[in-house]
Amino acid sequence: MSAVASSLFPFKLRDARRWLSGPRLQMSLFGAWTAVVFAFLYIPIVLLVVFSFNSSRLNIRWEGFSLRWYGELFANKTLIMAFQNSMLVACATTVLATVLGTIGAWMLYRYRFPFQRAIGLLIFVPMVMPEVLMGVSLLVLFVQLLNLPLGFTTLIIAHTTFCFPFVLVGVQARLHGLDPAMEEAAMDLGATPVQAFWKVIVPYLMPAIVSGALMSFTLSLDEYIVSVFTTGAQSQTLPLKVFGMAKVGLNPQLNALSTLFIVGTFVILIGSEILTRNKKHT
Amino acid sequence: MAGAAPIPIGATGPASYRRKPGLVAWLVLAPLLIWLVLFIVIPTAMLVMVSFAERDSLGRVVYNFTFDNYLRAFDWVWLKVLIDSVWYAFLTTVICMAVGFPVAYFIGRAPVQWRGILLMLVMVPFWTSFLIRTYAWITILSRDGIVNGLLVASGIFAEPVTLLYTPFAIVLGLVYNFLPFMILPIYTSVERLDGAMIEAAYDLGAGPTRAFAQVIIPLTSPGITAGALLVFIPSIAMFAITTLMGGGANPTIGEVIFKQFTSGRNQPFGAALGTLLLVIFVVALWLTRRQREQD
Amino acid sequence: MKTKHTLMAALTALALVGCGKAPDPKAAEETPTKQAEATPALSMEAPKLSIFCWSEYIPQSVIDEFSQETGIAVSVENYASNEEMLAKLLAGGGSYDIIQPSEYVVGALIKEDLLMPIDHSKIPNLKNLDPRFVNMSFDPGNKFSVPFMAGSVGIVVNTEMVTEEIKSFSDVFQDKYAGKIVVLDDAREIVSWGLQSLGIPVNDVSDENLAKVKPVISKWLPLVKVYDSDSPKTALLNGDVTIGVVWGGEGAILLNADKKFKWVIPAEGTHLFVDSLAVPKTAKHPGNAQAFMDFILRPEISAKISEAFPYLNPNLAARALLTPEQLANAASFPTDEELAKMQTFEDIGQQASKVDEMVTSLKVQ
Repeated sequence: MSAVASSLFPFKLRDARRWLSGPRLQMSLFGAWTAVVFAFLYIPIVLLVVFSFNSSRLNIRWEGFSLRWYGELFANKTLIMAFQNSMLVACATTVLATVLGTIGAWMLYRYRFPFQRAIGLLIFVPMVMPEVLMGVSLLVLFVQLLNLPLGFTTLIIAHTTFCFPFVLVGVQARLHGLDPAMEEAAMDLGATPVQAFWKVIVPYLMPAIVSGALMSFTLSLDEYIVSVFTTGAQSQTLPLKVFGMAKVGLNPQLNALSTLFIVGTFVILIGSEILTRNKKHT
Repeated sequence: MAGAAPIPIGATGPASYRRKPGLVAWLVLAPLLIWLVLFIVIPTAMLVMVSFAERDSLGRVVYNFTFDNYLRAFDWVWLKVLIDSVWYAFLTTVICMAVGFPVAYFIGRAPVQWRGILLMLVMVPFWTSFLIRTYAWITILSRDGIVNGLLVASGIFAEPVTLLYTPFAIVLGLVYNFLPFMILPIYTSVERLDGAMIEAAYDLGAGPTRAFAQVIIPLTSPGITAGALLVFIPSIAMFAITTLMGGGANPTIGEVIFKQFTSGRNQPFGAALGTLLLVIFVVALWLTRRQREQD
Repeated sequence: MKTKHTLMAALTALALVGCGKAPDPKAAEETPTKQAEATPALSMEAPKLSIFCWSEYIPQSVIDEFSQETGIAVSVENYASNEEMLAKLLAGGGSYDIIQPSEYVVGALIKEDLLMPIDHSKIPNLKNLDPRFVNMSFDPGNKFSVPFMAGSVGIVVNTEMVTEEIKSFSDVFQDKYAGKIVVLDDAREIVSWGLQSLGIPVNDVSDENLAKVKPVISKWLPLVKVYDSDSPKTALLNGDVTIGVVWGGEGAILLNADKKFKWVIPAEGTHLFVDSLAVPKTAKHPGNAQAFMDFILRPEISAKISEAFPYLNPNLAARALLTPEQLANAASFPTDEELAKMQTFEDIGQQASKVDEMVTSLKVQ
């Protein structure tokens, strides 16, 4: 009887049960959930893109299609300059924060430094401290103690200070459970500690490093309060210009700017994907 | 419960693995140390100093030693605000964990060529200006907005529901902004998972929930803990979102401290509140470490 | 490795996009200038001017025009509140030539001797000002400041949702409007409304008066749905609230956006704020600063500013250039009797802290 049954059904019952209760169902369910979450993440984005084509000045109701904000955006030198400044600061911050965070996490993991605990604690301070406190104390530090003129340098230092803890914590999580044999094997094969770090540890840490970099970039782009206190006139970033705009209603030029930025990012993403795939095939 | 993984705050390698640092190691760590001292220790020290100072009528700090700021800080008004902020942060963290873990898991176990893109897709919404994003949510959740439009049209509610300027809106705003900071760290732990180990757990007869609870979660716990830290801690002091989405009727500690630097004209008091926050954090961290050492 | 390459490429590309058109620090300061003859006021100073002002208050076109005409390179920094400006100014962070304080801050700065006196002979256009806005209590004789724009706080009513007539603060804060009100998130403002409803002068913020006004405020605040000083118009436009006590500028935008909104100056009187231009003592280019003040006071320039930002323009000559619609906007230009009932703020020093604490504690309950 079972022989007939099993010849009728191409799948064995065991396979069906496996699919139903195993990793694959899990992935499908999780995949569906991910789609829902992505929809949630992109709802306001869709709205702001749509409103970038809204002919009304106030972002409340749709009143008609118009490209005028894009035109006005390109003529708005201050906004574009602020955007460029933001990008510059965010990129520099990302690089600095990632380097500081990764190397810091690794050294603390690998070596027995005397004040381990204190460092572990201090790293969380920029996260715990409200931004206004950090901003004002850094302002006083820069101006009165270090005599630094306020500008890009001070801004990047300030941003890096509260971004690198995110990188460090992320890399530490990835280091947890690292197999010591990895590094030892490399050194057995003749690598110096530095070489072992670069060729074995860094590739292993790469997802955490990239995650940390993404978080730093995002944090720096949107930072307002700390920037208020640590920037100079020529390093005005986008949030500084944007936050004041709420008074007269956020200009849809901002929507246009954001839309262009998102589109640009997608283009780069897809472009680099295509390039790497082509490289693989040739 | 057997197999509970330790909390990886300050992950360090196994004792036999860690070496005593030589000169080179010190030199490599030096930049971080200098950074810590210059830009974290010194500003924090200044902050604590200011918290014991007075101020003049213009709000400038006058360095006369006083305990007044701390005496004032232990008032129910400020403590309630602090408790509210911690509560919002806690809710946000828990929801982010529940919402974000499946996403991180899915991305981490997705085919390799898709992982990068999916991660970027998670981050890209947050490269738009924070203010436009939040105002977009305000438009969506308002009485004349899309959500209420759907609710009324579908007949679930007869009248528009007040979604905005409520604790619900605050938590929604916080969860929205902090979700990537939960997803990314969990992803880095999931990515490490050995597919064979997971398949083995299922093959050996573990039901899906048991396999999940006793194999996958413990293995990804470093990432989950990191995510929890990166969401909980910053969200306590967060205030722009809470003020915009909550309508300012539910002040948070971040907002209160900010006000001391603006209309309150009382920087030392703001510094005192901030120092208290730091102290609470240090104590909490110390307690968790002691707990861990006792296990 | 794929992940790594994709993400590295993306980040690098983004970096290039961002850094490609590397912002030239000088470019931010210098706008294209013609070879213009320097006016006598600019004799010995470098042709630079550093402005620290409210965001969205001085149109970029006005600044550009000034630059082009005088050959002075202008750099602008913004702030969103007076205290932000104070914090940065007092810490010595930047060297600013022009700041834009509100009236009570001007008074405080003068008391602390932080402003440079201005030379009226260098600012002939002062004559264009409405005499009611000159020689005000916070700066007698205008020795240190020049009024830029003024405005009042008032009540906005959504007449579609609110049928009865609202005439005063007490009319606004009634139980039937619970959860339908938006107010400014400014403790001093809120308390001043309470004081005015009791007939107490707004600058008389003694402990006694605070105790008197506390029961009034504690009845009002639970009725408020939204506190917002940056954009209270959003809640009104979205329909989440139906009455607001907001800045005049917000009111003007609302009146222009939809005819259903009505502007009411409270019968008890209200706050008249005057934002002025002043020169800090640490300014490096005071001559240029005064030239800028004179430039702003020109009728056509002042009219341009009004066009961009609909506040109360204290420049009579400029008002003559405005359109009848702009002048008819009740939120921008109150009547004479309404103006007579308004009070400007004076600095209340350390009482500000108590005011803030009182309002916060009432919010939290």
